[in-house]
Amino acid sequence: MSAGQAVFSGWMEIADKAMHEEARRRAEEAIVEALVSEYAGTLYRVAYSVLRNAADAEDAVQEAFVRVLRHRDTLAEVRDQRVWLIRIVWNVVLDRKRRMKTRPETDDVAELARVLPATGLSAEERVAAAQHHAHVLACVEKLPAKERQVLMLSAFEELNSVEIAEVLGITESSVRSRLFRARNLMAGLLDHPRSLP
Amino acid sequence: MNSPNQKTLVGSSAEFENTLRLIARLSPPEGLEERVQARLRAKADMAPGKTRILRWPEAQWIQNLARAAAAAAIVAVVVGGGWGVLSRFQPSQPSNAITVPPHGGGQGGFSSAGAMRTPQTLNGPVVAHPATATPEADKAAIKKPVRHGKPTAAKKAVAQSVVPSAK
Repeated sequence: MSAGQAVFSGWMEIADKAMHEEARRRAEEAIVEALVSEYAGTLYRVAYSVLRNAADAEDAVQEAFVRVLRHRDTLAEVRDQRVWLIRIVWNVVLDRKRRMKTRPETDDVAELARVLPATGLSAEERVAAAQHHAHVLACVEKLPAKERQVLMLSAFEELNSVEIAEVLGITESSVRSRLFRARNLMAGLLDHPRSLP
Repeated sequence: MNSPNQKTLVGSSAEFENTLRLIARLSPPEGLEERVQARLRAKADMAPGKTRILRWPEAQWIQNLARAAAAAAIVAVVVGGGWGVLSRFQPSQPSNAITVPPHGGGQGGFSSAGAMRTPQTLNGPVVAHPATATPEADKAAIKKPVRHGKPTAAKKAVAQSVVPSAK
């Protein structure tokens, strides 16, 4: 084989490899795009339930998908993409929540009055409903972290106890017991708001 | 998902769980997917290796050649430096003889003009002897040792002749 042929064959081999890598990368990006189309809404709701701010929740969703893009090589190994994505966004929002300062209840009232559906309600009723929801959320914030997390995730109809356990990395029985404790504590908090520090 | 124990609490907890469910059912903002897609595309474009679709085959052997040249240059510098040091500072053989550089070897220099170098020697000890007249006198001096006892009669006579009397 002459030097020219060797160079040509080397060129072709590298070009084939590069084309293959490019095709694989494009396929992975297409998978990520499909995941965005399918689960962006779900992830947004999960993020909003913790952060309670539309802009922060959207940022969290974007950050979660950027993380997915960074680890797109492992997409083929993921068993349940929905739970996997919720787990990623859950970790993102918990990180953000830790870094954020505690929001005052008045901010929550204004935000909830803006975003919650209020069909058939007058302006006064709408404000009253927002105040009630803000008060409930303030009580949720007073719960211990483990119970609070389970309670918040249990509100999502698309998650059963097995999936909540998978998101939180605990057993299903732990999910059940924590949910039971959370409901008891919430009932006490709503009756006697100062029963927990 | 609810256990029998939990079901007893459903009635009382329905009030606050409604709030959580309302939030959990919120519709995402308009254009969320498009914004996320756009950001992902921007991230993917910024990712390293994205622009390198084709790598020129020349680049590989040029790279190898450059590496080989760099390695050869490093070896040359190291070996050359070591050789230079060794050639200038060769280890001298231990010997007792002192080598004397040649005098006036080259043209135009000074010559010794045939002068021979003589080593400087130390002067020997000098003993001062009194001059002796005859060997016999010497023998008499040897035979007659000086006595420090009582002066003899002859000596006394000599002494009396020399010293004038006080009378």
